[in-house]
Amino acid sequence: MIQGIFYARFFPQEGPKVVAQSPAGCITPVENSNKPPLIDFDVLQEYIIPRQAFCNRYLTINTPDGKYAVLGYPVVIPHTKYLRNEFIFNFGLVLDADEDQMPYERVVRRLASTFSEMEKQNEYLSQNEGRDCGPLGCGIGGGGGGGGGGRRPIDSLLQIVKEDLDNYGECMIPVDEANTINMKLFPHHLQPPVVKGWHVPVPKTKLTEIVDPTWDLTLQKVISHIDGVSDVRRIAHAANVSLDLAKTALRHLLYYDTILLLDMFFFGACYALRPGIHDFIGNVDGMVDECAAYVSHGRGRVSNYHLTKLMSTFVQGRTIMEWLKGHQDSGFEVLRYVDVRRFVQFGIIKGCLYRVHKYVVSKQYLAALASGQSRPTMGGDPLQKYTDGCHHFEQIITEQNLTESEIMEKLKALPVPKGDLTVLYQ
Amino acid sequence: MATPFVTTDNFLAIALVINRSRDGPAFVFHYPPHVQPSSGTSQAPVDFEDILLERLSQPGHQDVDDDGAPSRQARNPEDHYFTESGTQIVPWERVAGFPSRDLAGILTPARSYHKRLFQLSLDPLYCVSYPIHVPENGKWKKPKKTTKSSKRSAYTDDLTASQEQDGSTTGKTAEQQPPKEKDGKKDGKKDEDDEKRSSMTMFNLVFILNPKSNEVKEVVEAVYEHLVKKVSKAFKYSQQHSEFVWKESKRILVAKDKAREERKKMNVLWKEILQSSSLAAAMHDIYEGVSQNRIATLHLETAAGLLTPSVQIPVPFYVDDLPQGEAPAQRGLWITTANTFMSQDALEEPSFLDRNFALLLLDDEKKIISELQADPDPTTASMVEFVRLSKPTMSFYQVGQSNILTVGQVRKYAQHFIFWRRAIAIPPLHARDQYIGSPNADYTQLPQDTLEWQRAFPLAPPLPNFLAELSQCPRPYKHFSPSKAHRPTYLLMLAWLMRRGWVTQLCTFAYVVVWPEILYEVDYEMEAEELRAAADADGARSEDSSGAAPPRTSESSEDHSGTDGSHVPTMTEQAAEKARLERIASKAHREAAEKATAHARKAVPIATAHPSVNDHAHLAGLTPHIILDAKKATGKESRYLSAIARRFTDDKLRTAWQQLSKYFDGQCALERIALQEEMKRKEVWNMLTAMSEHLLCTRHW
Repeated sequence: MIQGIFYARFFPQEGPKVVAQSPAGCITPVENSNKPPLIDFDVLQEYIIPRQAFCNRYLTINTPDGKYAVLGYPVVIPHTKYLRNEFIFNFGLVLDADEDQMPYERVVRRLASTFSEMEKQNEYLSQNEGRDCGPLGCGIGGGGGGGGGGRRPIDSLLQIVKEDLDNYGECMIPVDEANTINMKLFPHHLQPPVVKGWHVPVPKTKLTEIVDPTWDLTLQKVISHIDGVSDVRRIAHAANVSLDLAKTALRHLLYYDTILLLDMFFFGACYALRPGIHDFIGNVDGMVDECAAYVSHGRGRVSNYHLTKLMSTFVQGRTIMEWLKGHQDSGFEVLRYVDVRRFVQFGIIKGCLYRVHKYVVSKQYLAALASGQSRPTMGGDPLQKYTDGCHHFEQIITEQNLTESEIMEKLKALPVPKGDLTVLYQ
Repeated sequence: MATPFVTTDNFLAIALVINRSRDGPAFVFHYPPHVQPSSGTSQAPVDFEDILLERLSQPGHQDVDDDGAPSRQARNPEDHYFTESGTQIVPWERVAGFPSRDLAGILTPARSYHKRLFQLSLDPLYCVSYPIHVPENGKWKKPKKTTKSSKRSAYTDDLTASQEQDGSTTGKTAEQQPPKEKDGKKDGKKDEDDEKRSSMTMFNLVFILNPKSNEVKEVVEAVYEHLVKKVSKAFKYSQQHSEFVWKESKRILVAKDKAREERKKMNVLWKEILQSSSLAAAMHDIYEGVSQNRIATLHLETAAGLLTPSVQIPVPFYVDDLPQGEAPAQRGLWITTANTFMSQDALEEPSFLDRNFALLLLDDEKKIISELQADPDPTTASMVEFVRLSKPTMSFYQVGQSNILTVGQVRKYAQHFIFWRRAIAIPPLHARDQYIGSPNADYTQLPQDTLEWQRAFPLAPPLPNFLAELSQCPRPYKHFSPSKAHRPTYLLMLAWLMRRGWVTQLCTFAYVVVWPEILYEVDYEMEAEELRAAADADGARSEDSSGAAPPRTSESSEDHSGTDGSHVPTMTEQAAEKARLERIASKAHREAAEKATAHARKAVPIATAHPSVNDHAHLAGLTPHIILDAKKATGKESRYLSAIARRFTDDKLRTAWQQLSKYFDGQCALERIALQEEMKRKEVWNMLTAMSEHLLCTRHW
């Protein structure tokens, strides 16, 4: 919520003054309002109309009481036509101190750029001033007359901007015949993580339904192959798109939070529990019921207890196969009732499970790295670079196009001393 | 949850700005000497997206930046230059792209910011500070000194001349003698003269940050709370007691003026200032320490003595879940729920923490002891004792039992060591517990740690092999040790691995499962009771019934059928009678009767030895029930619990069930029950094993 919006400018005789504000009296007191201003303009004017060195840049300041933040973009327009050869103004916002300022930064920048452009074009600000307030500028409560040529007074303009942004998150306001202010508050998304070849994208929305022919071609191709099973490398191959482009396209989808990245599912893989399992056991937000709907296949719904039991028995050092066998031995034919891949995916998405990856480590290689020797045998064996404990098997699988057993075979052929290679899980 | 780490990327510089009664604001000192806002990280995209804006603000930027210094990149940043018009360009008079004179102006806020957060963003910089103004009476010193008269004829004095004069004299005295002894009468008098001319009205220690757009709030908050406030307060103290900030500022300003005349290179000047001024050196120490995520210890050589405050941005020493995405800052941290899975009651009861945690030193014991002894104070001896006594295998409670230190001392020292990053608190290590390779381990450290591991434990298996063993099927740690004699060494190895975040404990958490058999039994029982109560109410009138509310003693099934058998006919008879006598009441009774017959037709609960596998027909349709928190169970759930208790034939087990069921809430690691209850580990495990049929266990860190 914008608490206040104002237009301040520097007057050669009187110094900084607020010319227009909305709501009235939010920055400096006005006649017919006895509400105290939100901020102390005398203290803050130094930051609203700062020294020239700090003009033409985005500038924010908190109020001494810590309640508000003032966002502004002081602009200096140098020109001989002005008194003192320059025109200095600032369109600013007052926000609550704990409000996220990021979406409003663009608004402030946009106001500054639009009005400085309009001032340069037809002296929109300085003329307005002159007509309404006389040569010296009457300061407070500008606007008023509105003048001819369909111009709006800045006061009412600011009011509309504030109301539209608060109510609709965007505004489109014609200022004069030639200029319109278009602004929108954009939510801020974080940089999405980098997409790797071994990631498996799982759609969160029905992408195929929202895609249309105007979308990026690569994106369209990639989307048609996202099925929640195929890894990125496979998708790129199937879509006939280069791997890097496929990754970029997926990152785009990730940015808008429309896909999730999981790992490749193998029955030989190992999954273990995270503390999120307690939410599953407690059926928080009906999680278990959701799970049942997602994983049950064929012969009806699996009971909540069974799902809970299944989920809570993942542990380090137990592969899916072994886990299945354990439940089979205790009399529950998991595969007949539960889609295990979807079950595991559900656990990962909900934060109950994590994948325990397999790594291979060469002590010889580690020693070489520790001693700072140049990486041994560059261009030698392609597998050696994976043996530092930072590259799991899936990376090797996707990057080298090998199966796990092929990798193991190749590793055996590596020219290293006996017992040098160790396989560990993390 | 974790504080984002403050690094050289987002912590650009630290600067001291003062305001003077007559000469106005001055930019005293900043460190590092060259502040380059690494623009184009977060702010640039915003700019470039808006072409119009980009185009508009560009010329303005140039206007501002240009003032007479073309091609600033080309020249040596240490040197002085002259523009064509003859203006001298002094390298330290531009900080982070702004003229320092202008910065001094904008960074000396009004009194309303006194001892409050002052946060100014000058795209792309963030300036955060805690301005300190002189008290309203105009005197920094609290008790004595009543000089500082009106600012009379000083106005007419030649401004520059006087400044230079007092500058050179103070400069000289500073060079000749360390500030500690600068309390002589002569100096005092000179200072008084200075005060008459111009005095400091405020100082502002500004931290210049450049946070990424999404971390602004966290970084500003962390820096403000842990650094800005603390250092500013320390400076204020030193100013109040010995005018430290003002005296040092004057010296630095004089040195800078002189260097300007001499056209001294900036790096030379900075070196000199850092050597001669402990205030400047303190700013250096803060910057170098904090931006490297270390503890910064300041050495302020004030006239009243040496002040050595320490500041840091506390770092979390654990995470409770795997970080989302790639958060390199948290890699390698110990992953545990030991600290987060604590109920409020537990936190309020300090003995809980005492029993559940032990101290793990992050450094070599000897090194820490020598550090302690290097700076002796009254507590040193007992702190050294504490370091010697504390073992990662011993809980604080156990350390407190040694009779050398009180539990209070143990607690206090432990907090001290943890806060100053010398130790962390972990659940005591035990050879019977299970440890797994931490999924949060930082494998980029593997080469280096393998080497160090080998140095520390030359006879142990290589680190990758040992980690590989731990990462297979989880087993009690003692199984890795080849013999009992090796165990102490193996525990040391474990402590080493914990310290570096390679391993974490695999804990077991339990919930109570109520099997259908028990569910049915309790339901049946409750129904019977209900009927009995109704019968009793009636029976009290008609005939002396077989006894008011027969005590539910032994719960064998025969008993049930017995009581029910004797009741049901009575009920039906009565109902028939009542129906004849009172038509209105009859309906209710009929219903009751129907209920009773239905109840009578129900299969009688039979207690089997293993309720979990009881698949009698009458249990079909019932699914096991999980009690989420056994210690808060009420109503039906508490009846389930007592029904389960009755199943244990062993008296000891039955009482143990009552005693231990409070731990079956999915939050208490079963491994820690023994510590909490002061029982033998083995005993606890035997009991838990006996109860296991009624527990749903789940295992994670």
